[in-house]
Amino acid sequence: MVGKPARPTNAIDQTRRMLSLVTYLRERPGARVGDVARAFGVTEDELISDLDVLPLCGTSFRGGDLLDIDTDGDRIWWHNPDDVAEPLRIAADEATALLVAARAVSTLPGLREGDRQALLRATAKVEAASGEAAGASSRLSVTFESEGGVFADVDRAISERRRLWIRYYSPSRDELTEREIDPIRLVSVGHTYVEAWCRRSEARRTFRLDRVAEIRILDEPSAPPEVELRDLSEGLVQPAAEDPEVVVEVGPGGRWVAEYYPHDSADELPDGGLRITLRTPDPASLRRLALRLGGDGRIVSPQVLADSARQAAREALAAYDGLDGLQGDQDGPYDRQEQGL
Amino acid sequence: MAIAKAERLMNLALCLLGTRRPLSKRELRESIEAYLEAGSDDSFNRMFERDKDDLRELGLVIETVENLDGEVGYLARRDSNRLPPITLDAEEAAALGLAAKVWQQARLAGAASGALQKLRAAGLPEDVDPYEAHGALEPHIPVHEAAFEPLMLACRDRRPVVFDYRKATAAHPETRHVEPWALECWRGHWYLAGWDRDRGAERVFRLSRITGKVRTRAGRYTAEVPDVVTVRETVAGWAGEIADRSALIRLRSGSGYPLRAKAVSVRELGDGWDELEIPYGHGLDAWLVEFGPDVVVLEPAELRADVVDRLRAVAKG
Repeated sequence: MVGKPARPTNAIDQTRRMLSLVTYLRERPGARVGDVARAFGVTEDELISDLDVLPLCGTSFRGGDLLDIDTDGDRIWWHNPDDVAEPLRIAADEATALLVAARAVSTLPGLREGDRQALLRATAKVEAASGEAAGASSRLSVTFESEGGVFADVDRAISERRRLWIRYYSPSRDELTEREIDPIRLVSVGHTYVEAWCRRSEARRTFRLDRVAEIRILDEPSAPPEVELRDLSEGLVQPAAEDPEVVVEVGPGGRWVAEYYPHDSADELPDGGLRITLRTPDPASLRRLALRLGGDGRIVSPQVLADSARQAAREALAAYDGLDGLQGDQDGPYDRQEQGL
Repeated sequence: MAIAKAERLMNLALCLLGTRRPLSKRELRESIEAYLEAGSDDSFNRMFERDKDDLRELGLVIETVENLDGEVGYLARRDSNRLPPITLDAEEAAALGLAAKVWQQARLAGAASGALQKLRAAGLPEDVDPYEAHGALEPHIPVHEAAFEPLMLACRDRRPVVFDYRKATAAHPETRHVEPWALECWRGHWYLAGWDRDRGAERVFRLSRITGKVRTRAGRYTAEVPDVVTVRETVAGWAGEIADRSALIRLRSGSGYPLRAKAVSVRELGDGWDELEIPYGHGLDAWLVEFGPDVVVLEPAELRADVVDRLRAVAKG
C-alpha cells in the first residue's frame, strides 16, 4: 500500500483488531484471508498471526471455552461462534483519530463534491455513534493547504490519464519555467504536491501546487514510466549522500533554519546559535537563504556561495545610493546585527 | 515462552465481555493462563491493573462492583459496550477509508484503523478501494514532533504540563507552565494553544521548539477553556499573512513571481522594471531581501531601512 507508515506490531492495536475480527468472522463463515486482510487494512501475514492467537483465547482456558477458529490459508472458519462477539463502541482516541482526519480531508479544496458530501455524512454518523467519545476530537485540528483550481486540474488529469502543461516557479532560481508533466499522484504533507514524470528533465519530480503559476490539461495521453512510489512520510526532500555539503552558522535569530532545512548535523554554538551542515544538489539555490538571514547568519562554505550572497547584497545596496534618507548611517547602528558571528 | 501480551489482553476482554456477573480478580486469575503463570501476587496485580487500563484505552467500559460477599468484581456490560446502530453506504465507507489512512503518527494511525475495524465488524461496506474512489489524492498528516503525543494526551485529559521552550530568537530554552487547550496542524507544523501560567495569558507554542520532555502536572486548570480556540489566526500573524498596510517596491521585469502573485497592482515602468504595490505584514523585509538586486523598496521608509539594514549585514559578510 502506498504511503502507509511502517508500524511495529503493537499489542494494543492487535487486541483491538482481534476483538473486531471475531465479530466480523461470525457474520462471514468461510471468509477469504485476502478479503479479510484488505477489510482490516493489514497484510495477510499480520492476519494469519492474529488467527494463530485467537484459538488460545476464550472465556476460560480450563473449561475449554476457547475460540475454535481456524484457517487453511485460504478461508477462515469459526466452528463455535457465540454472542460475545458484538460490535464494540468507539473509544475516545479512535473517535478523535478518525473524526479529525475526516474533517481535515473534507476541507481539501480538490476533493470532489460528491466525495465531500459523502465524507460529511459519514462524519456526522460516526460522531453520533461515538457519543461522548467524540467530545475530545475538537481539541485537535488539521488544515491542509492546497490551491483549489490547480488541484482540480491535476486530479482530473490523473483520472483521465492526460498530460499537463505547467508554468512552474522555482524559488532557487527565481524563475518560471514551462514544463510538460505526466502526473502520478497528489500528496498533501502540509503543502500539497503533485508527483510527476517531468518530460523536460526525463525524471521524476515533485511540484508544489502553490508554485504552479499556470496550468493546462493537454490532449496527449499521460504515460509516466513505471516508477516505484517512494514512502514520503519522512519528508519530500531527501538529500542524497553525493550532494555537495553546505555549512551555515546562524545566531539565535537564525535557529529556524534547522527547522526548515533537512540537515546532517546542527551543533550548538556558545552564543546560542547553531552550526548547520546540510546537503543540496544545487548550493547556488541557497543564496536566497544567505540573503534572508541578514545579520542572523552566514554561509561558512562553500566560499563561492558566500561570495555570491555578498555580491548580490552589494549590488542591491547600490540601488539605494541615490534614494533619500539613507546617507550618513553606513556603519554604527548596524553593528548590532553582527551578533558575534 | 512468555505468553504474548495481545493474547492476555484478548482473554481478559473476552472474560469481562462474556460474563453476566462480576468476576473477582481470583476468578480472572484462574481463567487466564497468563495470569496463572504471572508468579507472585504482586506481579499479577501489577499486570492486571495495567491490562485493565489498556482495555479502557481501547474503549472498553469496565465496571468495578462489590458482590454480596464484599469482594470486588469486574465486568464489561454488553449494553454499555455495544456500538449503537450505524449504517453507512459504500460512498461514505470509502470516504472514511481514505480519512483513516492520513495519520502518520503511530498512535493515531492505530486508533483510526481501530475505529474503522469496529465499523467493519458492524457491517461497513468494503468493496470500494478508497484510493480508487478518490482518484489520486493522498493526504498525509505529518507528525514529526516528539512533543505531539504527550500534549495530545494532556489536551484530551485536561492536564497541566511543563516543558522547556525555545522561542525563535532566544538563545536558551525557558521552562513554561501551560494548561493545554488544543493542538492544530497548519502548513505541516503543529502548534499548541493554551493558558500560559507564567505569563498569565493565552499563548500559542510551536511544537518543534519544545526541547526535552513534556511532563504532566497534577491539579486542575486555573483558567477557563474558551469554546473556540483560534490557533491559526495567531500563527498567520507570525507568518506575515495578516497585513494592514501596503508597500511600494520596484521589481525587475520577469523576476519575483511570488511577489507578483500577491501584488495589489503592477505597473510597467518600461525601463526593465515594474512598480508593485504589495501587502506589508510581519517578515516582509526578510522576504524582500531574498530577491537581492531584483527588488528596490520605495516606501514606506521604515521597510526600506529594514531591508537596507539586512543587506548591509550580508554585504559585510
